[in-house]
Amino acid sequence: MPQIKIYQEDDIPSPMRRLWKSFASNPFALAGLWVIVFLLLLTLFGSFIAPYSPEAQNPKALLLPPSWDPAGTVEHFLGTDDLGRDIFSRLLHGVQLTFGMSLAVVITALLLGFVIGAISGMMQGLKSSILGHLLDALLSIPSLLMAILVVAVLGPGIDNVFWAVGIALTPQFVRAIHQAIHEELQKEYVTAARLDGANSLQIFWYVIMPNVWEVVIIQTTLAISTAILDIAALGFLSLGAQAPSPEWGAMVFQGLDNLLTAPWTVSIPGVAILFTVLAVNLVGDGLRSALAPIKN
Amino acid sequence: MGIYLLRRLNLFIATSLLMVTILFIATIHFPTERAYAYSGIINPSAEQVQQIISDYQLDKSDVYQYFAYLSQRMSGNLGISATSQQSVAKELATVLPASFELACFSGLLALVLGVPLGVLASLNQHKLTQNAIMAITLTGYSIPVFWLGLTLSLWFGVRLGWLPISGQINLLYEIKPVTGFMLIDTLLSDSSYRLPAFKDALAHIVLPAVTLAVLPFTVVVRITRSAMLNVMNQTYVRAAEARGLHTGKIILRHALPNALIPVLKHLGLMLGAFASYAIVVEVIFSWPGVGSWLVSGIYQRDYTVIQGGILAVALLIIFLSILIEVLHTASNPLSRKELYASN
Repeated sequence: MPQIKIYQEDDIPSPMRRLWKSFASNPFALAGLWVIVFLLLLTLFGSFIAPYSPEAQNPKALLLPPSWDPAGTVEHFLGTDDLGRDIFSRLLHGVQLTFGMSLAVVITALLLGFVIGAISGMMQGLKSSILGHLLDALLSIPSLLMAILVVAVLGPGIDNVFWAVGIALTPQFVRAIHQAIHEELQKEYVTAARLDGANSLQIFWYVIMPNVWEVVIIQTTLAISTAILDIAALGFLSLGAQAPSPEWGAMVFQGLDNLLTAPWTVSIPGVAILFTVLAVNLVGDGLRSALAPIKN
Repeated sequence: MGIYLLRRLNLFIATSLLMVTILFIATIHFPTERAYAYSGIINPSAEQVQQIISDYQLDKSDVYQYFAYLSQRMSGNLGISATSQQSVAKELATVLPASFELACFSGLLALVLGVPLGVLASLNQHKLTQNAIMAITLTGYSIPVFWLGLTLSLWFGVRLGWLPISGQINLLYEIKPVTGFMLIDTLLSDSSYRLPAFKDALAHIVLPAVTLAVLPFTVVVRITRSAMLNVMNQTYVRAAEARGLHTGKIILRHALPNALIPVLKHLGLMLGAFASYAIVVEVIFSWPGVGSWLVSGIYQRDYTVIQGGILAVALLIIFLSILIEVLHTASNPLSRKELYASN
C-alpha cells in the first residue's frame, strides 16, 4: 500500500535549508568547505601552533628534505630551505599573509564595490551610467599591471599589495552588482512593489536585494581565488611580499635558487597555493550549482 | 548596427581617455622629478630641459600638464627608456610581436583542444568521466601559473631535457626580424638553416605556450560544455533529430555554432587575467615580450617603460574586448534584440 502523506508533510524547508541541502549533496564542495574552515582556523591560530618562528635559522639542517624522504627528519616535517628555516612553520605563518590577506582585500573591495554598485544600480540615466562605467577603465588594466603601477608609485611591500589587488578587484564588484540590480529593476515585481507605495530604499533593501545576494556571493568566491593567485604572483615577482617573508608566492621565489637541488622548497608552497585556491573554487562551484535551480 | 558601432567607438574613446587619466595621476605621483618621469632623460642638457618644459608644459598647472601629456602620448612620443637610452616606442615595437606570437599560439592551442573536449564532455553521459573532466578543469583553473611554469620547465626542460626553457630561439641562429613573429620570420629568411631554425623556434615556444594555455583551455572546456548541454536541450535540436539527421551533423551544423557564442563572450571577459598570466609566463621563460620587459622596467624603476608598457597593454585589452563584444553582437541576433529595445 503506498503511503500518501501529503497533508501531514508540514515541514517545508526554508530557502536557506534547501540551499544547504543542495550544497551538501555535493561531496567535493563540502570537502572544499572543510578545507576553508580549517584554513580560517589556521589564519587565526597558525602562528601559535607553528613549531619554529618563520625566520628561525637552523645552520645544522640546511636543505633538509621532507620527513618521508630517507634523509629527512621528523623535527622538520616538510624539510628546510637553504637558510635552514623550517618550511612547515613558514607555511603556517604564511596562511595569514596569503589567505588571510586575500580575505581582508576581498571584504574591503566588496564593501566599497557594494556601495558604489548599489547607488549606481538604483539610479537611472546618465548619472548611473557615469558612476557605473567610471571604474570600467580600471577593469581593462590587468590586475598585475595595476599592481605594477601601484608598486611604481608606492614601492614594493606587502601593504601595497593590499591596495594593488583591492583596486583591481573593486571594479569587478561594482560592475557585477550594478548589472544585477539593473536587471532586477526592469522586472515586474519591482513595479508592483513601487505601485504599492514602497520608496526607493525599501525597494532596494526588501525587494531587490534578496535576489541579488547570490550574485554577491558568487562574485566573492571568484574574487577570493583571484586575490590569492594575485598576491602569490606578486610575491613571486618580488613586487609584493619581500624576501624573508613567509608569504607563499615569495617562498616559491626564495626557493628558486635551489630548484635543482631542493625542488621541495618550490613545490610545497606551490601545492599549498593550489589546494587553497582549489578549495575556494570548489565551494564557489558548489554554491553556483546549488543556487542555479533556486534561481530558475 | 551603425549607431551601435558608433556607441562602441564612443565607449572605446571614453575608456581610453580614462585610462590615460589614471596613468597620468600615477605618473605625477611617481617618487621622482616630473621632468624625468615624463621624458625618461636622467641628465638633460640645457636645450633638452627647455624642450621638456615646452613639451609637457611643466611651468603651468596640472591641468595644462595633463593635456600636454595626452597630446605627447597620442602623437607617439612615449619618452626614452632610462636604462637602454632608446625610444620607448621603438622598444615597444620589438617586444609586442613576441608577446603576440605567444598569446596567439597559446590561445589557438586552447581553442583547438578545448572546444572538441568540451563537446565530448557534454555528450558523455558517464558520471565518472564527467566528474574527471570537471576535476581536471577546476584544478587547471586553480593552479598558480608561476608554479606550473617552474614545474614544467624543471620536468621537461631539465630532468627529461626534451625542450629548451628560456628565450625565443637559440642564439646561434641569426634571423632578421620581418614580422616580429619568430615562427614566421624563420620561414621567411633565405638562409640555409631555415628549417632547423623553424624547428628550434617551435621547440622554444612549446613550454611557455602550454603553460599559458592552461587557463583559457579550462575556461573554454567548461563554457563549451555547459553551452552544449544547454543547446542540446533546445527544441530545434530535437527537431533536427526527428528529421533523422546524423548526430555528427546535428552537433557540427546545428548545436556547435550556437554553443560557441558564450565561449566568445567569456574569451572577452578573460583577457585581463590572460594578460596577467602572460606577464608571469614571460618572466619565467625569459620570453622577450612586453611582460618581461615591463617587469624588468619596474625592477630598474624605469618610469617611461612602465608607462609605455601599461598604456600599450591596456589600450590593446580595451580594444580587443570591445572588438569581441561587437563580434558577439554581430554573430548573435538575440543580443541585438536586446540592443534595440534598451535605452
